[in-house]
Amino acid sequence: MNIIRVKNARKKLGGKKVLKGIDLHVKKGEIIALVGPSGSGKSTLLRTLNRLIELDSGTVEFNGKKITDLDPVELRRGAVLVPQESVMLQGTVMDNIIYGPKLAGMGNECDIETCLLDVGLSRRFSRRDALKLSGGEKKRVSLARALALKPEVLLLDEPTVGVDPKKVEKMESTILKIAKDRNLTVIWVTHDVPQAIRVADRIANLKNGSVKEVAKTTEFHWEGAY
Amino acid sequence: MTGIPYTWEEGLLVLGMVMVLFFAAVLLSFWKKIGIAKEYTLALLRGGIQLFLAATILYFLFDFEYWYYPIWLLIAAMAVMGGYTSAKRAGKMPKAYKITTPSILIGATVVLSVLAITGAMPSKPQFMIPLAGMAFGNAMTICSLALNRLIREFETNKPALETMLSLGANPKEAMSEYSKMSVRSALIPNIDSLKTLGIIFIPGAMSGLLIAGTDPILAAEYQIIVYLMIVGGGIITSITVVTLARKMLFTKAYQLAEWL
Repeated sequence: MNIIRVKNARKKLGGKKVLKGIDLHVKKGEIIALVGPSGSGKSTLLRTLNRLIELDSGTVEFNGKKITDLDPVELRRGAVLVPQESVMLQGTVMDNIIYGPKLAGMGNECDIETCLLDVGLSRRFSRRDALKLSGGEKKRVSLARALALKPEVLLLDEPTVGVDPKKVEKMESTILKIAKDRNLTVIWVTHDVPQAIRVADRIANLKNGSVKEVAKTTEFHWEGAY
Repeated sequence: MTGIPYTWEEGLLVLGMVMVLFFAAVLLSFWKKIGIAKEYTLALLRGGIQLFLAATILYFLFDFEYWYYPIWLLIAAMAVMGGYTSAKRAGKMPKAYKITTPSILIGATVVLSVLAITGAMPSKPQFMIPLAGMAFGNAMTICSLALNRLIREFETNKPALETMLSLGANPKEAMSEYSKMSVRSALIPNIDSLKTLGIIFIPGAMSGLLIAGTDPILAAEYQIIVYLMIVGGGIITSITVVTLARKMLFTKAYQLAEWL
């Protein structure tokens, strides 16, 4: 069953065609990587999926419904974006993690400790000032913050950029474990093709705003990816 | 006590003599190469002409039997002019006058109505015109400060705003802190000057009343009324403008507006 379906998605930004008629489907529970060089439209596509950016034409369906027919807030709680730049909101790590659930009226249901443990951080971490964390810690808190909303889909934009190279693979396995344990669908944007091969079930290769190839990881022609 | 002890005709002579200060400023500007002589001269000419025009209108209006008709026209003109002037401080925001004009109008008319109802503003043009000028002028300044600050906060905090939207915040929730910050920062100059009243300076209304021969206690009372009007109108104006700005800063689908 497809949880997300993109049909003929087109978008211009600053006069430049960034998405040129993209078609893509994502099955429930799968991990799909969007690869491609800078400017290929990966991040823009990701941000159209939770409607942070509006398409000029084309449609995106979430669970069989056009996202334009859904309440944007409900959509974003179901498909949470973890942006490339992990911006921390003012306050503690706990304030950050509880932010989304509190707005959704599920503050009491939010298990901060589990969210922290899942991303490899200890319980004590919740009292730290979020603005004073290192880049890698911010990435993890950003991920925990998204998990606290109990989404169906995680939209990850370069989740390991800025992470210590020695810890990249550990971060990857953390995300894979979370996805498996929580039965999440993951759309993982990366410019790193070997990483896409390590983590994804399928890979979509974008170039100049178009999908050049979508294939199972085992069948992906990675030599021509860039 | 009396007011200014000479007639307006004699006043022209006095004004001519005090122009020595203008020439001194121009000479100093040339001598020290400060480069403000031309701008100052033009500003004085423009301001002087505008003031004399306004004074001429007031001169006739004060004696006009049906003075309340033109007053409404004047108030409407103040709101529109204030709205357009304030909109210029809204950077790239398109059609900002659509939110600045009603904000200024609401803030100023609410406080003027309170002054009218309580009797603080007698129903005479001598009171209504200057007080309306102060109410609208201050509402305009505070509106500009609040909106300008809010837009700057949006421009510098786009990633944080998008993070909040991504976590399921609606526009009102996402901009809540920035709205409060903008209202606070717009009101700070007035609240600060309120703290120093009578110590560092005697403000305009009280100075005017003292010069006109009013009892100092009464002048002080009136000055406080003026400040209540300024801050009260300011808070209403700034809250209104940041509330109305929401529709300009976000799309209907809760995205940041493209012009940002």
